[in-house]
Amino acid sequence: MARRLYFSLIGIVVLVGSLLGGNLFAGNVPSLGLDLQGGASVTLQPEGEFTPSALNQAVEIIEQRVNSLGVSEPEITRQGDNVVVNLPGVNDQQKALDIIGRQGELLLRPVLQAGTLNTDTATTIPGTNTSVVDTTVVDTTIAATEGGPGSMRSRGAATTIPAGTDTTVPASSDSTVPAVAESNISVSEDTTDPYANAVLLGQNGEAYLVGPAGASGKVFTNNAQAVINNGNWTVTVELRKGAEGEDLWNALTTRCFNRDATCPTARIAIALDGKVISAPTVQEAVFTGGNVQISGDFSQSEARDLAKILEFGAVPVKFGVATVQTVSPTLGKDSLRAAIISGLIGVLLVMAFFFVYYRMLTIVVIGGLMVSGALMWSIIAFISRSNGLALTLSGVAGIIVSIGVTVDSYVVFFERIKDELHAGKSLRSSAQRSFSLAWRTILAADTVSFLGAIVLWWLTVGSVRGFAFFLGLSTLCDVIVSYFFTRPAVLLLARSKFLQGRKILGVALPESSAQ
Amino acid sequence: MIEMIGRLYRGETTFNFVGRRWWGFGISIAFVVVTVVSLFAQGLNLGIDFKGGVAWEVPASTITVEDVRTILDANEIPTSDAKIQILNGAEGQRIRAQVGEISTETRTVVQAALSVKAGVDLQEVSVASVSSSWGRNITEKAVRALLTFFVIVSMYIAWRFEWKMAIAAILAMMHDVLISVGVYAVFGFSVTPATVIAFLTILGFSLYDTIVVFDKVHENTTRYSASKVSYGDIINVSMNQVLMRSINTSLAAVLPVLSLLVLGSWIMGAIALQEFALALLVGMLLGAYSSIYIATPLLAVFKGRELKFRSLQGNLRLGEEMARLGATSKKVVTRTQGDASTTSTQSDIERETVLASSVLSHPPRPRKNRRR
Repeated sequence: MARRLYFSLIGIVVLVGSLLGGNLFAGNVPSLGLDLQGGASVTLQPEGEFTPSALNQAVEIIEQRVNSLGVSEPEITRQGDNVVVNLPGVNDQQKALDIIGRQGELLLRPVLQAGTLNTDTATTIPGTNTSVVDTTVVDTTIAATEGGPGSMRSRGAATTIPAGTDTTVPASSDSTVPAVAESNISVSEDTTDPYANAVLLGQNGEAYLVGPAGASGKVFTNNAQAVINNGNWTVTVELRKGAEGEDLWNALTTRCFNRDATCPTARIAIALDGKVISAPTVQEAVFTGGNVQISGDFSQSEARDLAKILEFGAVPVKFGVATVQTVSPTLGKDSLRAAIISGLIGVLLVMAFFFVYYRMLTIVVIGGLMVSGALMWSIIAFISRSNGLALTLSGVAGIIVSIGVTVDSYVVFFERIKDELHAGKSLRSSAQRSFSLAWRTILAADTVSFLGAIVLWWLTVGSVRGFAFFLGLSTLCDVIVSYFFTRPAVLLLARSKFLQGRKILGVALPESSAQ
Repeated sequence: MIEMIGRLYRGETTFNFVGRRWWGFGISIAFVVVTVVSLFAQGLNLGIDFKGGVAWEVPASTITVEDVRTILDANEIPTSDAKIQILNGAEGQRIRAQVGEISTETRTVVQAALSVKAGVDLQEVSVASVSSSWGRNITEKAVRALLTFFVIVSMYIAWRFEWKMAIAAILAMMHDVLISVGVYAVFGFSVTPATVIAFLTILGFSLYDTIVVFDKVHENTTRYSASKVSYGDIINVSMNQVLMRSINTSLAAVLPVLSLLVLGSWIMGAIALQEFALALLVGMLLGAYSSIYIATPLLAVFKGRELKFRSLQGNLRLGEEMARLGATSKKVVTRTQGDASTTSTQSDIERETVLASSVLSHPPRPRKNRRR
């Protein structure tokens, strides 16, 4: 028992210590938000003709796209007709352009040929093309490698068509797929030109020879969703009504379903910025229900990414980048310093109060706070580096406040011990019993906070999302530290001779209480 | 007084929280009324992140951020939530100043003043309306997320404890957030995204605090389930047992916030911290107050109507009697060494329950026949 306690105590300290050391060694430090550190500011200027409502919609789409990038808190405003996007923590202006500058025109292009990229010659499509449209079995293996879907059909039909139907696609049709010689087709250099053939790359190195775009992302309404269907992740998206939507889409799918010369593979490439996100096979000539369902061997994140792209892909207004600038912080480091210093003093005050009240047990609290502080710092530093998290002033203040709240788990635990001691038990047995009781309380309260954090994280954007992140993080740290640090530390202290005869919790321990 | 603190410290207080519930309800209702009235009468003072405003951009060859601030002050434009930034780009350094909605005349006046100060042509100082950065869809998403959160949390509390506790906890939490928002409405503080974050923090803190109290109530409900104890009694006993915990936790949570407010913003001058800390301070005090005076008394009201407790309603043990009810059974522990394993803990709990009910087995007070 004692050995397991020591193991847990030393284990968590070593683990957190090495996390901290690793991050320090790798030079990961938490990056700061727009208000504290500044960042990059990109001004986008609309080009060509546009209506105010289209502009509004475009701003909304840009906003969603930028916001979905991560936990940093970007700021998007309209200044006159221009759209100004401020990105925190980005000092490299080119990087800012990369993030914003993706034009985001979603094109739906018939696939003429598909294959893997040959490294010798630029892009030759292998002649052994049979694997592309043979059976679903093969189809899903492709899907697995490309991270793309197998098929696409209207939503209502999906449940009625048995899985077997997929295999009814005649294998003989393969022979009708001509092994198109590269030289016969003029391929445009510009991968985003919707009117020419082009060779596009998929996400995992596949190459697609695609024809002129049959439609753009505007055929879809902005509500694509990733859902689980029959145990698989699928993406559903609604079609817009009318000539600009359904009609355009159905014209394209009819061509593909019939394996017309312009779409011999029956696949449609969903291409964003000259890159094929996914290339599902068309399973129906006409999508009557107004819904499109794309299924295949998706992982959850792939399905969600595809849905996101279908949803925000097409921005109705074309933007050019007017200027890229770095911006200075609005508040500056002085505020940060003030927050940190006053926060630390606040925590010291809490410790002083604890020392008066809980006496020697405060050692555990100080140790626990150091462990959870190091853990949080490491995680924040790591995520700053990997996902562009940026701490704003309110984030910093929030963390300081969370320390005060975290201390509650100690209070709950110690108050329990106090009760047990008053009941005349030995410190040793009361510590053990109190923990199991306090742990239930701590777990219940932390679960509620954590649930809140998860819901807010999934469903919101911007600063609310940043808040959810820190709430979840501090709750998680609280649970980990309570179980792996506080529990063994207090239990071991209760066994040791250290507290014998001392006053803890204002209750004088009898010398012989634990014999 | 000293004796009082001593009893508080030992958890031997016998405050009658349930009996005085109308004090808490009354005060809270008054505050909520004030909040609602002021929300309708003057509304919230939304900052530029929500409402948008005006932005000037001026080439910064000679002009500094301080100059810009002086010019804004001279035109009586509030600069507390103005954003003044230095931009560095291909066209050299520029200063962007963004403030809330102002009149067209002031716009041109400031534009002229800026161009004079910077020594450039009037045309080189750009003026543009700026939209809010906190877009409509951020609010929509946040509201939707909050509603989902309420539903999921209620379901969790209902599953872990019971649904009446879920309702009481959610009501108490709404009460806290509503009154915190009310403070902003009454005093006309400007609401920034940081404020919204502060409100969310309050919400989380309030819920957390309430759950800890409810856990104790839940535990005591099982403990006294065999005996005739009214729900009000259970709550009174539980509240007195967790009172010290509530006070300590609130102190521990409020101290850093106070430090941010007094040291950080007043002494060290980080004004941006002030309103954030103020919102948190109010919210945390409210959170501690509401879990004691709103959430649990509400629960007593809900539960008191249940069949099991109805006959005992209004039947509260006070003073000594309450202390006896709540006292942890004193007993001599005669156990040998090395028994702190999980199995003995289990039997320990059982023994405790038996002892607890034996404490309660003193002759019950004759039941008052109040029903007609």
